[in-house]
Amino acid sequence: MSKGLEGLKHIVVLMMENRSFDHMLGSLKAVDGRIDGITDQMDNLDNTGASVKPQLLADFQGQLDPDPNHHFQAVDVQIFNGDTSASRQPNMKGFVKSYYNLRRDTAHSQKIMYCFKQKDLPVLTTLALEYAVFNRWFSSIPGPTICNRAFAHYGTSFGRVDMNPFDIIEPFKSIYSRLIEATPKRTAKVYYYDTTSSTMEVVNLLQNQPELFGTYKQFLQDCDKGSLPDYSFVEPNFNDHETDEGEELASDQHPDHDVQAGERLIAEVYMRIKRNPNLWPSTALLVLYDEHGGIFDHVPPPPCSPDHFTAPANATGTGMEFKFDRLGVRVPAVLVSPWIPKNTVVDRVFDHASIPATVTKFFQLGDLPRSPRELNADVFIEPNVTPLDPQRNLLSLDAMRSDCPEFGV
Amino acid sequence: MAIIPVPKPSRKSMDPGRDVNCLLRAQVEHLQHAERRLPLRYRSSIYIHAIRTEGEAAQYIREVTEAIHKAHADAIGERKKRARAAKGLVRPKAKVKKSGRGK
Repeated sequence: MSKGLEGLKHIVVLMMENRSFDHMLGSLKAVDGRIDGITDQMDNLDNTGASVKPQLLADFQGQLDPDPNHHFQAVDVQIFNGDTSASRQPNMKGFVKSYYNLRRDTAHSQKIMYCFKQKDLPVLTTLALEYAVFNRWFSSIPGPTICNRAFAHYGTSFGRVDMNPFDIIEPFKSIYSRLIEATPKRTAKVYYYDTTSSTMEVVNLLQNQPELFGTYKQFLQDCDKGSLPDYSFVEPNFNDHETDEGEELASDQHPDHDVQAGERLIAEVYMRIKRNPNLWPSTALLVLYDEHGGIFDHVPPPPCSPDHFTAPANATGTGMEFKFDRLGVRVPAVLVSPWIPKNTVVDRVFDHASIPATVTKFFQLGDLPRSPRELNADVFIEPNVTPLDPQRNLLSLDAMRSDCPEFGV
Repeated sequence: MAIIPVPKPSRKSMDPGRDVNCLLRAQVEHLQHAERRLPLRYRSSIYIHAIRTEGEAAQYIREVTEAIHKAHADAIGERKKRARAAKGLVRPKAKVKKSGRGK
């Protein structure tokens, strides 16, 4: 048996916005060759035919304005470089082309290849090197935010590849409903930052089940009191706004919001869990990004088993229907727990459907109707049952680590 | 292990006058979708097609989010009031019966 899994009571997911793996963590290849980051062998061609390589020149704010296009049609260009033939293969050569289409500015289009230096992201890179970093965590759809986040909540986007409101289609249920309706009853909460930032899950969850929601301030209090629910989904601050307590800077890292504000949010969530000696051993924290935001990554998204739904050609904008049979672009994902060996690198394939899949299996919610995509998604925390496959269990240490990093926030 | 410093963002980063991005635009539209189902007394007077900046979007987002919570809280309050009233109807009957016995 695994001591880490035996004592695990809480799963916390913090989902940030719109940054690719190579953009945020690609520099770590130079630190640890097992991490599948950037090399000099990668490039895209700009509109003059010149080779543009990934470079460690990313800045916290001001470079990715206008916001890179990450709607389905644009991501298709980024992945396939505009090839629409039946025999096309993903080559990740169309990022500069896609960004050029927005402003028709050659120099500006090259910035889509910029990546952060390790020292610029002390929080995310430290967590990646200290705990488990996923080399193959892909967004669920080669498309934008709302449908990708839907996979984290429902294990499917119900056939949507866009940003429009959607309805839940029976028999599938949100992971929150599955938990609170379970026997024995489980607990779940979505913590949005505050009512001025609100949530990206308005039409189904907020509108119909507002009792599921708490604020980030409540999350911090729940960490201190040790009263976190079994499953917590934390949303960052999506906009700059004023409150009675002062200015609140957007912390979602969506371009062109300040990346450093997101670093502080990640550090604060981590430290708040770590500072409670009862919570720290019994909590696993997953930090990840909803999609790549149109920013360069070099790993072609793999094909996958199709979903129950199909997006028609007029919805994809590519002239082709989409059967949800290919994952989206790779995103940063790090799993944190004091039971994970330092410097763990995971090569198995995951996407956001892995979140409800993992929570459903870990909390043993039973044989519920789930989307084909979720049923085929791998889990990042093994169910605490016998026999346990030690090769798959990431919380594998016999004794809790005492050398875990701390951040000054 | 030494504590790792986390730099604070520049004070210049704050810009509620920044153009609304496609994510906030979608969030506003989702909230309007929800707002249309609210009773009239909970609805905002903000015209979403005139929203241009993050600060303007933030104001609408707050108003509708709070309205959704209030509409649900009010409905729960009404439900409790009805339940109490229903219990109140039972009590007088019991009293009548009891006083009847006394006679």
